[in-house]
Amino acid sequence: MSSTCSLIATNVSLKIGQQQILSDVCLNLGAGKVMGVLGPNGAGKTSLLKMLSGQLASHHSVSWNNKTLTDYDPMSLAKQISVVNQLNESVFALDLYQIVRMGLLPHKSLLSRQTPHDDKSISDAIFRVGLENKVKQSFNSLSGGEQQRGLIARALVQKAALIILDEPVNHLDIYYQHQVLKLLRSLAHKLNITVVMSLHDLNLAANYCDHLCLLDAGKMVAQGSPEQVLTSQRLQQVFKIPCQIRHEVNNAAFRVDFYPPDEVETDIMSAAKGCDT
Amino acid sequence: MNKKWMFLCLLVIASPIGALFFGAADFSSTQLVQCITQGCQDPVNSMIFWEIRAPRVFVGFLVGAGLAVAGATLQNITRNGLADPYLFGVVSGAGLGASIATLLFDSKVAEQIGLLEMFPNLSFSLALPFAAFLGALFSVFLVQILASKTFGSKTEHMLLAGIAVSFMLSALSHFLLFLGEPFAANKVIFWLMGSLARVESWYAWVMLPVVVVSVAILLLYGRHMDALLIGDENAKTLGVQVTRLRILSLAICAALTACIVSYCGGIGFVGLMIPHIVRTWLGVTSRIVTLGCVLLGGCFMVWVDVLARVALPNQEIPIGIITSAIGSVFFLIVMSQRRS
Repeated sequence: MSSTCSLIATNVSLKIGQQQILSDVCLNLGAGKVMGVLGPNGAGKTSLLKMLSGQLASHHSVSWNNKTLTDYDPMSLAKQISVVNQLNESVFALDLYQIVRMGLLPHKSLLSRQTPHDDKSISDAIFRVGLENKVKQSFNSLSGGEQQRGLIARALVQKAALIILDEPVNHLDIYYQHQVLKLLRSLAHKLNITVVMSLHDLNLAANYCDHLCLLDAGKMVAQGSPEQVLTSQRLQQVFKIPCQIRHEVNNAAFRVDFYPPDEVETDIMSAAKGCDT
Repeated sequence: MNKKWMFLCLLVIASPIGALFFGAADFSSTQLVQCITQGCQDPVNSMIFWEIRAPRVFVGFLVGAGLAVAGATLQNITRNGLADPYLFGVVSGAGLGASIATLLFDSKVAEQIGLLEMFPNLSFSLALPFAAFLGALFSVFLVQILASKTFGSKTEHMLLAGIAVSFMLSALSHFLLFLGEPFAANKVIFWLMGSLARVESWYAWVMLPVVVVSVAILLLYGRHMDALLIGDENAKTLGVQVTRLRILSLAICAALTACIVSYCGGIGFVGLMIPHIVRTWLGVTSRIVTLGCVLLGGCFMVWVDVLARVALPNQEIPIGIITSAIGSVFFLIVMSQRRS
């Protein structure tokens, strides 16, 4: 994993049918950084992640390690970029070890066998995400947080220098949300892995990401450090809801509080009354 | 090697040897050992043993292995435990081919279109499997075209296309049989019930390379097939070329099933039941399932064929009837166990 690796997107655009999903998105992210992609539903977060990971054709506009993604063949790209998509249940009961072992796939030819070194890298990755007691447990029976950590372990075995995650803390309780994000930040800072993820919770994004980019209707509204991106005026404009930013304990923690407008509250109350009758 | 695999290997050695003892002609164990080691003394026994019984056991093993592997592979690539080679219209396609062959070999029709003059040496016993093979390939081709061009490339669309093609080809072949002679219809219906009674030794040499090459390719691509189990998008991010792998796997399933169905008729439930047992017993990764299906599927078919030969005196039960009966009971037991 080279420290010079950087992810550069130049004027990334995507149009599906008549709908413009992304328009001229540019970004530049250095190695070992954690980037959060923010924005309301339909802003184009998942599409941007797919472009950045090479899952959608990007017309030579995304490059990783000074090489455009289209110049990588699928296996070489998988050695460089690991993607953790939103969870899919496996129909057949694969265990955690078998899921994590799949990370070896890009590094193995059709005829090559699994070596003791591979075994060690699998157990190291499982140990690093704290799931050493669940190795033989069916993946489907793990909790959401454990599954997410299992997929991160698979990404570690894949030995990619860039990990892209689509809403990694979706459906997780508050404990696992912090646990997963803490793990990702520690991997980025200790192993110099670049992490890009989409998030809905602005407070988590502010506290765990080094770099944020805020999307709205497929356009990049702002990017930079959390302090630069998360301003109450900008968030109010993008999320259409009033908010206040608070810096706690010498600016070490960041807090965004949203205030639902009165008319929304009134609508919810009347809907609730309707349910009672 | 763990105990389960050792048991399976012993079963693979014991089953074909055991099955050689069963058949219309009585062989003592001494005669059998002599036939295998030194050759039979009696030329009639030699002909029965080497031309009928041994090829039948061997082909039975390959048929079971092939159907089980095809079922497991389809279940893997569609991520659906109920996918089966027959769901892709292979049997209906083979049935249509067989119906056309039967109708054409009806003397009046053949005479009218001048078929007998064109192919004076073509025998019905060869024309029927050949036509069935073409029909099976045609149905798989049709399913692929419909799934990719008309419905989209999702796996559920492929299953829907398979069901639609299956019913369409069945309707066509029933219509042809309705037009033809009742005797011809009987022949096709009996053929569709499945049997190893027509097996000749040359067929073993056709089946063997098809099964061996298919299994070898599936074992080579084992890691890629495993990645498909966690979804197409996830597999792609691991570097797997999903569409190419799916087409390759479908081609393998089509070749395996078409070879089997065209010669042996419709033998249902093997492709559903054996992979299910192997996954529960040995494991779910593709290489384990493929190897387990070869060994267990082969042994299963060898014994089902023995049952077909010995269950009724002086006649054989079509093998498809036995596999369907065992398969349906098996799934009822599995369902009741899961509920409890």
